[in-house]
Amino acid sequence: MNPTYYDRPVLKAPHWGWNVVTYLFLGGITGGLGIVAALADPKTPSGRRLRKTARIASLVVATANPPILISHLGRPERFLHMLRTFKPGSPMSLGVWGLVAYSTAAAASIMIEDDRLTALQAILGAYLAGYTGVLLSATAVPLWAAGKAHIPAACVCSGVASACALASAISSLTGNAEAVGKLERLEQVATAGEAVILIHFNASGGPRVRRFVGRVAAPVALSLVAGLVHVPERHRRLRTLLASALTLTAGYLFRNALIEVGKRSTTDPQAGFRQPR
Amino acid sequence: MSETGFFTDTTLCIGCKACEVACKQWNELPSDGFAFTGESYDNTSQLSGTTWRHVAFVEQVAIEPAAPSPIVEKWLMMSDVCKHCTNAGCQEACPTGAIVKNEFGNVYVQPDVCNGCGYCVVSCPFGVIDLIDPIDDERKFSVATLSESRRDANQTAIQKSGGVAGKCTLCYDRQKIGETPACAKACPTESIQFGVLDELRERAAERVASLAERGVDAHLYGADDVGGGIGSLNAFFLLTDRPEVYNLPVEPVLPSTRQPAGYTAAAGAAIALALAGWAIFRSR
Repeated sequence: MNPTYYDRPVLKAPHWGWNVVTYLFLGGITGGLGIVAALADPKTPSGRRLRKTARIASLVVATANPPILISHLGRPERFLHMLRTFKPGSPMSLGVWGLVAYSTAAAASIMIEDDRLTALQAILGAYLAGYTGVLLSATAVPLWAAGKAHIPAACVCSGVASACALASAISSLTGNAEAVGKLERLEQVATAGEAVILIHFNASGGPRVRRFVGRVAAPVALSLVAGLVHVPERHRRLRTLLASALTLTAGYLFRNALIEVGKRSTTDPQAGFRQPR
Repeated sequence: MSETGFFTDTTLCIGCKACEVACKQWNELPSDGFAFTGESYDNTSQLSGTTWRHVAFVEQVAIEPAAPSPIVEKWLMMSDVCKHCTNAGCQEACPTGAIVKNEFGNVYVQPDVCNGCGYCVVSCPFGVIDLIDPIDDERKFSVATLSESRRDANQTAIQKSGGVAGKCTLCYDRQKIGETPACAKACPTESIQFGVLDELRERAAERVASLAERGVDAHLYGADDVGGGIGSLNAFFLLTDRPEVYNLPVEPVLPSTRQPAGYTAAAGAAIALALAGWAIFRSR
């Protein structure tokens, strides 16, 4: 074992708490809904309804993001300082501009029906869901740095799954059964993708990676199982709502575990001595 | 203008902590509280938003069972400071542009631009920069038994601007008027040397050679590229033991070098899901 300096950590722990967790979670949903809106088939009535649902929900969630983002700043009144510069090399700077661009596109696409605008919103949405992962992995925090490819990919999967969960819950309550079925299938695919990424991450990483995966394994597995359970037709809506709740909970717990286990990982001096490339 | 920096020669450090005190006084930094750690003579423990020099103490004890008490074989002391990296993780991460490279090639935080997002804190591979607690943090004032009014009067500029990131400025204000940074000025043994980088590196190489002649195995940390994309350090050190002993990373990595892998993975996942989604939503 290498010597340490009184077991003092080399690295500083993140100062981030519930507001950053919530922001990462909602950012994923917002972006995922942009993808869902683009996927919905405008040639069918159910597709058109889904598109509208996804667009409105996305704009609502996008609007909730800035206040949460601002609340985590040490000097909240200086939020606008992020808009005085554009630094594509900083994931946080690029992300703020991405959020601004996405929100603009989301608002515009509600008013104007245009294929290019819909596609743009979907691309910006994919960016929004994924950049939160890059924002974490491009730091010195040992857990995040260890998952430089896994965490961003898992964030995209989780964002899309959560977006499908929210859209299917709304569609189920508003009687768009056709859309619910499709959304649930994509939700399953995205959650399965997330599970595969997490399993691979678990196998490739050390004890702190296993601690992280261990914390998210149960919620992800539960949301996956909930969608597979067969229920009689009259209980379909209940299952949809339950599966949606589980997927959304898993999405939140995934971000929460990232932040919490990430914080703990900074206290290990050995992890700070040799940092992942 | 040529770049300036620090050469900290740990073989000359006597652990007087004059650098810590001079730094606190010049920069009007508040106390970090008062505690005995039991970790040799180090009660400062680490660099922080309000501690910009930190003297590390390492007592290396030779265990001699026959002797009545353990004998101190080697006593290492090092005044740690912000490394002022060539490619600085904090500066790259900063979303407001508050962290800049100034005309002296030093990494400088503009406190009036910083919004306290804390992203630089997690982006420093050396664990240097940190957020300064807002002024209502009682801990800062708990040392002195000051009255309420005296307390307010004793608030310094830094305390009033709490909530932002703080670290060594390499005494930007002193350099601007041609003065030596406070810590180097106060150092009684020239363990901390301030100057133009090229000269400092030359001097450091000579020092390593002269120590080698006397049988002391010394090496420089940060005079050359430290690897991981960081480049060389404007504040570099002469060490006589492994970097870990002084709580310095052996393999530091510039965090932004992981971005391409991250964006690629995210794009891959997004494309895969979009294709799956297309098959689900658009199949007839």
